[in-house]
Amino acid sequence: MKEKSIQVVLVEDNAADTRLFREMFSKEPPGSFILIHFSRLHDAEIHFAKGGVDIVLLDMGLPDAHGIDTVRRARAAAPNVPMIVLTGLDDEELAAEAMKEGAQDYLIKGQIENRALPRALRHAVERHRMQTEADLVQIHQLQYKDEFLSHVSHELRSPLFAIYQFVTIILDKLAGEVNPEQCRYLEIILKNVKQLQSMIDDLLEVTRAQAGKMTIELQSASASDAIDYVVNTLHGAATAKQIALTSSIESRLPSVWADPKRIRQILIILVDNAIKFTPPDGMVHVRARLSEDPKFVTLEVSDSGSGISPEMTEKIFDRLFQLSDPSASARKGLGLGLHICKELVTRQGGQIWVTSAPGQGAVFSVTLPVFSLAHIIAPAFCGYDCEQEPVSLVVIEIGSRAGWLSDEVREEQSHRIRDSVQKCLFSDKDVLLPKMNFTGALELIFILAMTGKSGADAISKRILKRLDGGEHIQYADLTVAISSISLEGVGRNATEPADHHLERVAARIREIMYEEVLSRMAKSG
Amino acid sequence: MGNKKILIVDDDPDVTLGLHLRLRANHYDTYFAADAPSSVAEARKYSPDLIVLDLGLPSGDGYLVMESLKKAPSLAHIPIIVVSARDLAANEERALSAGAKAFLQKPVDNAVLLAIIRRELSGPHPGPK
Repeated sequence: MKEKSIQVVLVEDNAADTRLFREMFSKEPPGSFILIHFSRLHDAEIHFAKGGVDIVLLDMGLPDAHGIDTVRRARAAAPNVPMIVLTGLDDEELAAEAMKEGAQDYLIKGQIENRALPRALRHAVERHRMQTEADLVQIHQLQYKDEFLSHVSHELRSPLFAIYQFVTIILDKLAGEVNPEQCRYLEIILKNVKQLQSMIDDLLEVTRAQAGKMTIELQSASASDAIDYVVNTLHGAATAKQIALTSSIESRLPSVWADPKRIRQILIILVDNAIKFTPPDGMVHVRARLSEDPKFVTLEVSDSGSGISPEMTEKIFDRLFQLSDPSASARKGLGLGLHICKELVTRQGGQIWVTSAPGQGAVFSVTLPVFSLAHIIAPAFCGYDCEQEPVSLVVIEIGSRAGWLSDEVREEQSHRIRDSVQKCLFSDKDVLLPKMNFTGALELIFILAMTGKSGADAISKRILKRLDGGEHIQYADLTVAISSISLEGVGRNATEPADHHLERVAARIREIMYEEVLSRMAKSG
Repeated sequence: MGNKKILIVDDDPDVTLGLHLRLRANHYDTYFAADAPSSVAEARKYSPDLIVLDLGLPSGDGYLVMESLKKAPSLAHIPIIVVSARDLAANEERALSAGAKAFLQKPVDNAVLLAIIRRELSGPHPGPK
């Protein structure tokens, strides 16, 4: 078998040393090594870019690079090529440092045996090849594992659906009478079906997080809405265990910049856990307040359960971690919940931690960034060329045909309309701006869209079409008008510091919104 | 007025039977198809008021079915609810833009399914009578 020749790049400025190295290879079979020599690192860097290098022999004192910097530069230019550094007799400390920077080995000049060098190089190349292969295999295995998990989770859903269907068919007496004892047992099956379903959901969620496919749609969101939703949803589960589930929300709590679905998901996991780990007659309390750092809102879920020992408070967020607490007899699922929570919270720019002492309950705290206009504008205007892509405000005016509507009706209808409008937007390009606090019959919804006049028109059409389609919306007594304002020039001249620039842009947009509201109010009388 | 007609398209006979029992109990008449081509044929034959459609089907898939239905003038107006085990993130938007009224991932809660069916059947339909 003919071996492929090994391309050795020698970077060495000393002519005598270079000659010595050449001689070392002269006794090797022809074609087994190709030795390419450079005196300067710069020339070697150019050669590395072409590829095909099997190993580098690098002197650490060159005309254009010295010491450890030589190794760093060479590694950067040839990151996947094994490297052996050449040092002087009293430079072993430097050699050790070079190894830390990624050199595979070092040789001391003057102590290299003639025949030993080619052998050492062959071994180094082989070792590197095996390591690279092993890394690749590991990457493939991980990918395969994720695909496998995703596939299995989806396949499990159909049979689970069939089980759910028939249990509920019997339970709802669609197939004849069922006695109370049988009902009780069917309820147990149903409970376990739901548990299985949430395990499948968790598995998929973790697989998605691993693959970087977890979707988070940041927007202005209400933490208190999420708390209300979660308390309502889990009220039944708490009552069944005689646990008091309560909530308190600080007045004038600002909106957060987060995905409302994800806030609900985080709270469901935390409150559900709290209920599981709290003995009957205990309490679970959910609280929302402004953090000490006013740029964040803190959500807290506290319970009167068995608590968590201090050494566990970090580990508890790890994948597949489960408390081996004998007092918690309930089955706890896959132990993925808190891990998912941590992923979700950190991906939304917040933090999660737990404070607790055994026997004294636990408090899980989550922070989420407060919504501010700058938050939305940052991705829109930072490093963003407004000459190329204009920005517009789309204004939706909702008036009442029937004159004054009751606050409740108006609130409900405008909520539905906002919901529909949201569905017409591109989550990466358009942003529904937060409500301006005006009272009166008139309501304006503002959308910041990264588009010009024709794009704004397209958005308007899309929204009107959806509203006209009447999907979930009854607006017989409402009038809806849509217009757009071009924000030409608002984002330009970004020579000032980014922070100031953003603030100025945000302030200008707020001003335009304000003027718009005032002028429409004046018109509508 | 007679019962509303619902065509159930799913290749899993257990799921189909389960849906049939649940829908019948809620006073809907049910019709069935277990693959892509026959679902279009059954839709022509019975002109259902609504279609519950799985995505993974033999000889084609749910998307193909929706495409064929939307092309047929007499069938294009029938509201479609997709009920599938497939990934929500990857399929919801695609199903909705293919003309489905909703994407529900299996296992679907009975109350949710019935509420959406009721919603779709209560609205006025722009299509032919």
